[in-house]
Amino acid sequence: MTTTAAGSHAAAHAAAHGAATGAAGGNLGRGEGVQSRALAGRPAHEGPGSSSGRGSRRRRRARDAEADRGILSEADWRRPLVRRGMSTVHLVMLVLLVIWGIGPIVLLAKFAVTPTQDILRTPLAVFPNGIAWGNLAEAWNDVRVSHYFLNTVWVAAGSWVSQVVVAATGGYVLSVLRPRYAKALQWAVLATLFVPAVVLLVPLYLTILDPPVGSSMLNTFWAVWLPAGASAFNVVLVQRFFDSLPREVFEAARVDGAGPFRLFWSIVLPMSKPILGVVSVFAVIASWKDFLWPLLVLPNPDLQPLSVRLPSLQGSTDMGVLMAALAISTIIPVLVFLVFQRLFLRGAGLGGAVKG
Amino acid sequence: MTTPDVTRGRAPAPEPTPVRRRRSPAAWVRRGGLSALVFALPLLLVFGVFSWLPIGRAVLMSFQETNLITTTWVGLDNFRAVFADPLLPQALRNTAWFAVLALLFGYPVPLVAAVLMSDVRRLKGLFSALAYLPVVVPPVVAVLLWKFFYDPRPEGVFNSILGWLGAGPFPWLQDQTWAMPSLVLEATWAAAGGTVIIYLAALTSVPAELYDAAEVDGASIWRKIWHVTLPHLRGVLLITLILQVIGTAQVFLEPYLFTGGGPANATLTILLLIYRYAFGQSLGADYGQATALSLLLAVLLAVASLAYFRLTRRWSTS
Amino acid sequence: MRSTRCAAMTLTSVLALGALTACAGTDGDDAAPAGDSEATTTLRVVSLIPGSEQEAFDAFDERVAQFEDLNPDIDIEAVEYEWRATTFAAQLAGGTLPDVYEIPLTDAKTLIENGQLADVDEQFQALEYADDFNETLLDAGKGEDGKVYAIPAKSIYGVALHYNRAMFEQAGLDPDQPPTTWDEVRDAAKAIKDATGQAGFATMAANNTGGWQLAAATYSRGGRVQEAGDDGTYTATLDNDGTREALQFLHDLRWEDDSVLADTTLDWSTINQAFAGGQTAMYTSGSDVLTSLIETNGLDSADYGLTAIPVDGDDAGVLVGGTLAAVNVKADDAVKDAAVRWIDFFYLSKLLDEEQAVADAEVRADNGQAVGTPVLPIFSREQYELSLEWVADYINVPLEQMVGYTDVMFDQPVVGEPSRSTQETYGALDTVVQAVLTDDNADIDALLETANTQVQALLDEG
Repeated sequence: MTTTAAGSHAAAHAAAHGAATGAAGGNLGRGEGVQSRALAGRPAHEGPGSSSGRGSRRRRRARDAEADRGILSEADWRRPLVRRGMSTVHLVMLVLLVIWGIGPIVLLAKFAVTPTQDILRTPLAVFPNGIAWGNLAEAWNDVRVSHYFLNTVWVAAGSWVSQVVVAATGGYVLSVLRPRYAKALQWAVLATLFVPAVVLLVPLYLTILDPPVGSSMLNTFWAVWLPAGASAFNVVLVQRFFDSLPREVFEAARVDGAGPFRLFWSIVLPMSKPILGVVSVFAVIASWKDFLWPLLVLPNPDLQPLSVRLPSLQGSTDMGVLMAALAISTIIPVLVFLVFQRLFLRGAGLGGAVKG
Repeated sequence: MTTPDVTRGRAPAPEPTPVRRRRSPAAWVRRGGLSALVFALPLLLVFGVFSWLPIGRAVLMSFQETNLITTTWVGLDNFRAVFADPLLPQALRNTAWFAVLALLFGYPVPLVAAVLMSDVRRLKGLFSALAYLPVVVPPVVAVLLWKFFYDPRPEGVFNSILGWLGAGPFPWLQDQTWAMPSLVLEATWAAAGGTVIIYLAALTSVPAELYDAAEVDGASIWRKIWHVTLPHLRGVLLITLILQVIGTAQVFLEPYLFTGGGPANATLTILLLIYRYAFGQSLGADYGQATALSLLLAVLLAVASLAYFRLTRRWSTS
Repeated sequence: MRSTRCAAMTLTSVLALGALTACAGTDGDDAAPAGDSEATTTLRVVSLIPGSEQEAFDAFDERVAQFEDLNPDIDIEAVEYEWRATTFAAQLAGGTLPDVYEIPLTDAKTLIENGQLADVDEQFQALEYADDFNETLLDAGKGEDGKVYAIPAKSIYGVALHYNRAMFEQAGLDPDQPPTTWDEVRDAAKAIKDATGQAGFATMAANNTGGWQLAAATYSRGGRVQEAGDDGTYTATLDNDGTREALQFLHDLRWEDDSVLADTTLDWSTINQAFAGGQTAMYTSGSDVLTSLIETNGLDSADYGLTAIPVDGDDAGVLVGGTLAAVNVKADDAVKDAAVRWIDFFYLSKLLDEEQAVADAEVRADNGQAVGTPVLPIFSREQYELSLEWVADYINVPLEQMVGYTDVMFDQPVVGEPSRSTQETYGALDTVVQAVLTDDNADIDALLETANTQVQALLDEG
């Protein structure tokens, strides 16, 4: 539901492309990169943001080999005009990026502990009337941000499970087992890439209301989880990855008497961790961002994720408390991002193209 | 140990060698037909119920009128009603305007930023993280926060800052002309970081030899950017362009939460119109009309996708 | 490589754990509400607006407990609820509305025609006060078959002017002499804006509430937005002088005085929030809004003032509207019985029975909720005044700050809302209000003509 389906095919291209480019590995020296590629074609995962110790080592080596380069050459860098110019440009950029990346978040953090009247009248003054820590407590206890955050996590987790299961088993069937109907199945899956999500909005809602089997799934997490699994993009991505695995391994396993289940569980799954990692990042990010679909299928406030709940509190919640609720909702993903920064940035290079 | 990357999958994998001689069920099971079916089951069920079935239903529904209890065939009435709606041209214009603005704001800036950042020698990780941070903020939080930033009073956040610079106050969302650019500005803030990271990844893939060769020919920095960097990014640039167009054609969150489509329908987008048809009327939904409009939008996007494929083919062969 | 992979797996396994607990957590909630014994009926009712104050929920829960003591065979489940034109349809179609919910007076007829409300005639007629209702109100909830499908409940309001007494004082205005004409409203708004920097006046403009308040402003200037013909046809009259004047008034406040709150996303609840936050000194809304201002926005009523909406010109009147309690069309007889018992207990008995009136007032007062907010009578004026006498000891709203309204509330000429395509009419007017507030050069005549054509087309469809 979240990936814009028609774009997903293009996104598959983008992801494939990104994977290739990502494989060249952020700052790796050329020699090292060539070496690692020669070894296994294994993507190098030295993303931006690795530890500074390694960074300096790398820089030193880069200078030695004159290999780590961008558009500017070492000769360019040696020209004082260029060096000073670029340093200035980079400094300005850093300032702009700080304003861009942190500015609004810092303001949000400030509002979270500012009395409502100060937020409304002097939003940029620095605590003219003291700090209102109470906002946070009220947001946590009365607005129950923790509860809705947990809902958000559950929605994301279930969507993740459903996407990984469908993509892994589906990719396995299409790429490895290949029954006779595999071709038809593949076309049927591919075709859905060209149908934009918006077409599904109403009929999918009605399907949830009145599914072919069982009773209405409205107000259950299944209504979000199951449709999330129907992501052709994931299936294609995993299938392509499986296609690239060496056939000899499968054949050897078959010869050793491994059935389809053993093969899947002991050989294919362990080998596909990287691609499932990518699918997972997409799944979690997409679910985190989804708004319209949970808005429609989870009208019960007790089940709503933050994205749906927060807007409905606008008219009933004091500005200071609302800001505190927004801040709490932000701090958790930001912390997760800072901790798993490299994973995110690598995943984004690969799949940021998938618009959430 | 060996985990080849995805791109290798482009080479057609060798056909497995299933033996297809007999057609008895027992043989089918022995050949792994049953277990293949078991593995296909999740995909079949989930796609069947939540993708194929609704797509088929969408086509049917666009020719029907239903209140969920009784359903009647109405031919092309839904499409006629959609075309007769005076809001449709406005929604089309607004959506196109959103897409154009999103391209103006969100296309060159990340590219310039990425090109500049690719030559950062220290703290590159910090640069990337800063650029990406807004992407991590939950979209709904971003919209609600920016809605407050856009307070049109002189003491509003943005207007205060502009006041220091001697400009403003701007009406932001409270003006039919400014509302849409304001929406796009926030959307760009929320999304640009992802685009920057994609471009950065693509930039690192430019073979150093190309730059070296250009330098041997005495190329200046600008010529290197123009003749080496940008041509190499062509593929990625085109893909992000198309994705952005398709994404913006279905924009909902920003207009819904910022303005509800207002003021005076200045930010009413197609998806918001579909939502209104289907869910936004207090006394009865028009599902038929909603699906009719969404199918029309789908056709529009399909045309865009086709254009994209033709273009990429031409570009990749040129 | 290894470390990032591990990180990814840790992240995902944390999520997987969440998924398991999620499954465990929701199964219980989703289980069908099978009663403990055959005799127990579970009744899902609406409670308060999402995000209301904890004290308000406490008061509600106490009343629920009292009801369950009286009716041990009924188990009440409460869900938060706010009727909104833009979300109600999805709830209705989705079948997610509780057994008892509230709808605007104007919408009942269409819902009944569409077969979307349960027939509660039998249960209703069993109420001993079934014949005591205000006839006009009761008619709103009757179908063409003369049966009752929705029962007047909660509140009947007249639109009135709400103001912030403290802001009046800051501007050197006498809070005991609130404006009585629209010109005085404009002057006061300007004075407040000049003195406090905050908006003097605000109007709703979104989710059909802009049209609702524009209709009220139209009535107060002697205009009407719809006329019913003798032959059952309806004519849209959006382009009348009253509406034009009302829009010109908003235009002047916005573009000449800059004294109106420039926010075209305000609706019923967000304007309450803006008023409670001191962002506007005046606005118009139903006379009963104080209850919600306290319940939901935690307003301190010390600075609250209520006065009548200015009524100028021939035929000028006050827009009245109200709420009906309806029962889910899927309800069976047991649920319908329980539903009407709940409606009787929660909405109506406190107006008719001294013991219940006192019990309700006591709970509300104990929890800091409003007792004594002026509303229009569901039964008769005498009954309404009697019920206020019963709870006189508990009244905690500042009645002396509301005399501007209470002195005239029974003498004002009242006008009902447009009866056909009500929400569509309001929706079309929303656009006009937004246009006037966001465009200095908005062509009011042209806007009204467009809106009128649009609504007339809907009325002609029937």
